[in-house]
Amino acid sequence: MSRSGARILLRSTTRNARRLWTGTALIAVHQICETFVPIMIGVIIDRAVTPGDLGRLLLWIGVLAVQFTLLTTAYRFGARRLMAAIAEEGHQLRLEVSAKILHPRGVRTDLRAGDLLTVSTSDADNTSYLLDYIPRIVGAIVATVVSAVALFLISVPLGLVVLIATPIVLVLLQISSPVITRRVADQQEQAGRATSLATDLVTGLRPLRGLGAQDAAAERYREVSRRSLRATLRAARTQGAYLAASTTLSTLLACGIAIMAGWFALTGRITVGQLIAVIGLAQFLIEPFGTLAVAPSWIGEARASADRVALIADAGLVLPEGVATPAEHPCDLRLSGVRHGPLDGLDLHVLPGEFVGVVARRSGDAEALVRLLSVPADYQGSVLLGGSPLEQVERAHARRLLLVEPHHADLFTGTIAANVAVHAGDEILTDVLSAAAADEVLATQADGLDTVVAERGASLSGGQRQRIALARALLARPPVLVLHDPTTAVDAVTEHAIAQGIRALRHGPESGFATVVITSSPALLAATDRVVVLGDGVVAAEGGHEALGASDETYRQLVLR
Amino acid sequence: MSQILPIATTRQTRAWLRAELRGRRGEVAGTLLAGIAAAAAAILPVYALGVLVDRVRSGAGTSAIVSISIVIGAAALIGGVAIGLSKYLIGRLGSRMLADLRESTVATALRLPALVLDRAGRGDLLSRVGADIAAIGKAVAHVLPNVISALLLAVLSLAAMTGIDWRLGLAGAVAVPFYVIALRWYLPLSAPRYADERQAVAERSQLLVESMQGLRTVHAYRLERRHLDDIDRASAKARDIDVGVFTLFTRFVGRINRAEFFGLAALLTVGFLLVRDGSVSVGQASAAALLFHRLFNPVSMLLYTFDEIQAAGASLARLVGVETVPVERREAARRPADASLSLDDVSFSYDGRTPVLRGLSIRLEPGERVALVGSTGAGKTTVASIAAGILDPGEGTARVDGVPVRELPAGTVAIISQETHVFAGPLVEDLRLARPGASRPEVEAALDAVGALNWARELPDGLDTAVGDGGHDLTPAQAQQLALARLVLLDPAVAVLDEATAEAGSAGARALEQSAAAATRGRTVLIVAHRLTQAASADRVIVMEHGVVVESGPHAELVAAGGRYAQLWSAWESRSSTPA
Repeated sequence: MSRSGARILLRSTTRNARRLWTGTALIAVHQICETFVPIMIGVIIDRAVTPGDLGRLLLWIGVLAVQFTLLTTAYRFGARRLMAAIAEEGHQLRLEVSAKILHPRGVRTDLRAGDLLTVSTSDADNTSYLLDYIPRIVGAIVATVVSAVALFLISVPLGLVVLIATPIVLVLLQISSPVITRRVADQQEQAGRATSLATDLVTGLRPLRGLGAQDAAAERYREVSRRSLRATLRAARTQGAYLAASTTLSTLLACGIAIMAGWFALTGRITVGQLIAVIGLAQFLIEPFGTLAVAPSWIGEARASADRVALIADAGLVLPEGVATPAEHPCDLRLSGVRHGPLDGLDLHVLPGEFVGVVARRSGDAEALVRLLSVPADYQGSVLLGGSPLEQVERAHARRLLLVEPHHADLFTGTIAANVAVHAGDEILTDVLSAAAADEVLATQADGLDTVVAERGASLSGGQRQRIALARALLARPPVLVLHDPTTAVDAVTEHAIAQGIRALRHGPESGFATVVITSSPALLAATDRVVVLGDGVVAAEGGHEALGASDETYRQLVLR
Repeated sequence: MSQILPIATTRQTRAWLRAELRGRRGEVAGTLLAGIAAAAAAILPVYALGVLVDRVRSGAGTSAIVSISIVIGAAALIGGVAIGLSKYLIGRLGSRMLADLRESTVATALRLPALVLDRAGRGDLLSRVGADIAAIGKAVAHVLPNVISALLLAVLSLAAMTGIDWRLGLAGAVAVPFYVIALRWYLPLSAPRYADERQAVAERSQLLVESMQGLRTVHAYRLERRHLDDIDRASAKARDIDVGVFTLFTRFVGRINRAEFFGLAALLTVGFLLVRDGSVSVGQASAAALLFHRLFNPVSMLLYTFDEIQAAGASLARLVGVETVPVERREAARRPADASLSLDDVSFSYDGRTPVLRGLSIRLEPGERVALVGSTGAGKTTVASIAAGILDPGEGTARVDGVPVRELPAGTVAIISQETHVFAGPLVEDLRLARPGASRPEVEAALDAVGALNWARELPDGLDTAVGDGGHDLTPAQAQQLALARLVLLDPAVAVLDEATAEAGSAGARALEQSAAAATRGRTVLIVAHRLTQAASADRVIVMEHGVVVESGPHAELVAAGGRYAQLWSAWESRSSTPA
């Protein structure tokens, strides 16, 4: 796993090589110019201020101007180049990961939706930040080398002291960093908890108000908020202590160097200007050394994110590459001796033109059946669609022939029209809308079909979402349609209308369409041709809704309302 | 979303800030003192080194180093402690103020009147209690201490230069207008772009969330290509805006570099002139230049984070704004003697034009179970909300034993609405919202009463299982049972059930009806019924049409009377009947 993270990182550098290395070179130039600022102050004091030479002053101010121009130009163009590379790399990684997650054959991963989202957002970004870290590290090395050369030119012992003592101090300071990281992580976790509690309580405001429990809720938030405050203060104390220690140490170091340089100057070994340059450089060097000290943790973070990106990018696919293309009409669905999860040798044959109801005594059986038909993997027995094993049918073709509408109706941001008519062609739209009783939903929406649905359909009630989703399924006109509890949030009168609507739309004379509805709703079951009862993973009973209701007490209890 | 919640004006926000600071005078003074000590300790060594330069130039002996060593060594020790202390104190002050603010904002948010919230939409409030509080928290923890330290250092450094010679101070101040110009150029240009960036990133996340959470639907409808194209487009847009914002930022950095150059050049030139006419020594001029150079990093950090400070300010205004909304307050509580519920001559309209209820009067005797029946839009939910005191009627009053519902002690009337929510966290804590401090046996008894104890015990960690957002997923029927168990724990005299069983599957609906019956036993109950079996088992049925009561009486009588209810009942029976 770790090797693949490294491979992703390496690829990030090679496929952005041009921008990365020209950008890094320019950032190095910028760093050199920054290093020269304290040196220049020393030079100007030495050459112009001390002798009181106006001509020299103007000359050196001119040089300083050139230096600043170079400094700022190099930064501007270098940083832009790097930013373009970082943004492009993050974008590419995000697309790669998304394409893999959405792959029609299904990605084999244990990650949940929330984790997948993190990989495609922050991990993709964190991986691309490698392209930011490289120039920083290179710049810090260049600045260190230039400062070292300057210090050695001024005085060899001074240079040695600066270059040996500074890293020691920085390493000393790194010792405490795990404590800080832990405290800050704790602080962020507690703050995150307070935030999610607040949003959760506000989301559940109606039920809270219904119970008059707002005071209890506010008190609960107060407790979490106080805990978050304590964690924040703990982290602030640790950070304050670290800051005190690091500032004291680095200032003592800079002062030590200054005193040593002062002693050299008093004994005439270096000039006043050189003294000023040494003081300035000692102060300046803390920054590049600091960069080098934290660089390993940056690389570690990028590496960890790259590992997670690789986890998706390198994951296998669930289904094989399907090649079979069974005929569209007539198309039947035949399950024989299917074992999958709780299913224990299920036989089910749905003929073209049939409207079949499936009642499951255990909800797990229904879920397993739906899961199997959506993703035909990890099962024994056979599932034949139009005579071909389902997993061997070409995926797009299989899903055109067999549409499994999940129980949880996912709508997407966009107009209702865009949600219903996912694929072009709406000549039967009006019929479909009324069959699904979605026309009633539209009547309550300000802009009818053009009403914009909020994220995940949140602006609609559960029943409205179900009806829009049902209209979408009906409009797709698949030869075999599987519906799972399509009307649980719809009232009985509407449910009855929907049952008749599905029947009229899909099961007219000669239609040849097959529909399977997994439900315990008597209104829907009454409209079917026959009902199959699943018990303990196999077919327990079979027959017409009326006949089963008359003869089978357990059936009556299952579908009684 | 026609209205949004108020946002505090600059004056209101400042007034809040002043009041908060005034209430913490001692803490503020201590914090400032530590900050000033830290900045002074940072400046002193540079000044001492200037003196050293002069001693070198005057050819002093090596002993001249001793006193200077002592001064800068002591300054380093004191300065280190002071800077750590000052950052801690600034962080503490800010965090304490924020904690108070967020608690009172959330408390206010939870008590916003239903109508205000419905009009503003929950999204606005959610982003305030979520994103805005988080944004200020981050700013207080990471930005504020640095900003205040940098400001103090800059001000004291300029003061030190002025102390050496006022003309040096003036030269250092040459940079200030350049900084200000750079900032005033950058902020107005960057603010809309940052807003665009946030918007683009939000759009991108939304597409990713929808695609990943709706993966089954994406696959079922072969929408992979379309969703990927959308993600590509949104991500590319965010990328381009990112690059654009950064390009602007590099130009801002260029302007800051310019300010640094002009400041440094001015200092060196003025230093040169002052040294030449003997007003200051070479060491003093050097010290001024070094002081200025030391400001480069903290001041640019200050400027770079200025937009974060601005954003935190905007978030602050949105939080303070929430507090300006008048909230629901229960009046002094009067305890009713019995549990009769009455609505007298109640009228209501959501928009002030279309009447939803028109002079409606109903009365429920103590312990009576009444079902409210009628077609969609008849006003059933509005009646339920008014009876529970969630909505205030335009005219008329809802009362329990003659006491207006607004003046009842908390927990007298409770409503369970269509909207269920499972509160994130351990299951037992969800239930304790109804009765804080309820013992475990009490919670278990409540779950048992609604028939939920068995499945609750079978959860991975039993009653301590984390449920709700990010936890174990409960079915809609289980969520409804939890709502009913909360009702049992609260133990109100009057219960209103508004389609409390609508969301369950058909099989679950029957079980839920049993739970609901158990949860409301012995209470006065008003049920908004979609499923007429609920009406059939009630003591009395009230039929509503267009905001008025059209029929009222026991189920059997109404069926026999052959009116509106009889029509509804026969339709219900024929449509949903199970062959028997």
